[in-house]
Amino acid sequence: MSKAARETWGDPTTAAFWEAAREHRLVLQRCADCGHWQFYPRPFCLECGSSALSWKEASGRGRVYSSSETHMAPSPDIETPYVVAVVELDEGPKLMTNIVNGRCRIGDRVRVRWREREEGPPIPDFEPDPEG
Amino acid sequence: MARGIRDSVAILGMGCSKFGERWHDGPEDLLVEAFRECLEDAGIGRDRIDAAWLATAIEEVSVGKSGIPLAEALRLPYIPVTRVENFCASGTESFRGAVYAVASGAADIALAAGVEKLKDTGYGGLPQRSRGALNDMVWANFSAPGSFAQLAAAYRTKHSVLPEDLKRAMAQVSVKSHANGAKNPKAHLRNEISIDKAVNAPMVADPLGLFDCCGVSDGAACAIVCRPEIARELGRENPITVKALQVSVSNGSEAGHNSWDGSHFVTARIASRRAYEEAGVRDPRAEVDMVEAHDCFSITELVTMEDLGLSREGEGWRDVLDGVYDAEGDTPCQIDGGLKCFGHPIGASGLRMLYEVYLQLEGRAGERQLDTPRLGLTHNLGGAPHRNVCSVAIVGREGG
Repeated sequence: MSKAARETWGDPTTAAFWEAAREHRLVLQRCADCGHWQFYPRPFCLECGSSALSWKEASGRGRVYSSSETHMAPSPDIETPYVVAVVELDEGPKLMTNIVNGRCRIGDRVRVRWREREEGPPIPDFEPDPEG
Repeated sequence: MARGIRDSVAILGMGCSKFGERWHDGPEDLLVEAFRECLEDAGIGRDRIDAAWLATAIEEVSVGKSGIPLAEALRLPYIPVTRVENFCASGTESFRGAVYAVASGAADIALAAGVEKLKDTGYGGLPQRSRGALNDMVWANFSAPGSFAQLAAAYRTKHSVLPEDLKRAMAQVSVKSHANGAKNPKAHLRNEISIDKAVNAPMVADPLGLFDCCGVSDGAACAIVCRPEIARELGRENPITVKALQVSVSNGSEAGHNSWDGSHFVTARIASRRAYEEAGVRDPRAEVDMVEAHDCFSITELVTMEDLGLSREGEGWRDVLDGVYDAEGDTPCQIDGGLKCFGHPIGASGLRMLYEVYLQLEGRAGERQLDTPRLGLTHNLGGAPHRNVCSVAIVGREGG
């Protein structure tokens, strides 16, 4: 990917997430005033409204909160079936993601696994966590 | 809370096209079909309409942007015409524009219309969303069924419902809508189905199978509203009036905050409580006679019955299996077939729901007529469980 494309990915609110993603680090926003963790990124804290947010690296581990195996994709270029899940990270926030490399039930432990792609930085998928 | 608009606006007439695969008609034809019925029902000439609203969500495959397509198709007399869009709740937004115009006194008579022509996209679902730095982060290729399926997973985990029990309750939601839709000549799908057929259908997004998902349709619907005294002058002794009209829109809390458990709709609870207050409804289960809910997926309808306060939290699935929402039940839901069978042309859907409530209150619903309903509720939802627009309207007679 060209340097120019690297520099322009995302906007002031999302760019730090994608920069970390290039290094396979999952980062979340944390509020310096109230300690709240949040995802997806915003310019303010959802809990107290403060704009004193910093980026902290997350453990990349969590548990499956809900999941559904999709058999009809919204676009023909997506291979089916695939699992769409909400993962609750150990830091608290939940995120919508795909489960790869095995099956998971609600409550199962999972860890982040980065998916490389041609256009843009890698995307965080999750896979069963052998360490539990 | 604001004073509200209870009984400030009457419905003078309504119209609705046949929903379905309307390959031989353009969106303008569908608008004209609905408008012709509406105008005749209202008993006025189009020159008396002071302002109009048009709902269409996916204008790329429908009539295009702006209010002009409606003004042109209906030859409206150089009045203000506004196009509105609020996801799948767009139809109720159109109605809200017309109702608020009359309630404010800016218009005596106003028109709300909605149309969508979705079969022209050539596939079954809705057009794909665009990618981007934020969408890439949160989308995970979830289809509409895939995002609503999360609701089922979270619901059965929270309330310790066995997967096979919830699947059966979801099937009953659709079996009931198919039974109702079969009696509706304007419905897109007019076939009855069995519980077994629904339970064993191909999976779309687990646990949502083929019959747990509504399709998309071509269609249009409209309403003409006015001040109640005008309705009385035109011969409506006890006109049908709007008792409440409320909208609640997700603010990002469900999508990112940690407090939402994913098993219900935050917006539906808020919009319905505000609507009950505006309408003076104290006990919805006893007072609401019929519901037209946004049954984009069977699980949506099931959970919505709880969010509207009609079923107790965690017991909606039992109420469904007990037949509470069947045509013969305590609170019939989707007596016209709902999105599932009447169809879902996005911009028209909210108005289609109001059309059925209106016909039922008027006693003009033919073979599917309920026994003297007095108060009807519509619930029109746009978006996904974690990020949506939710409209609730309550309609009844001016004199109660």
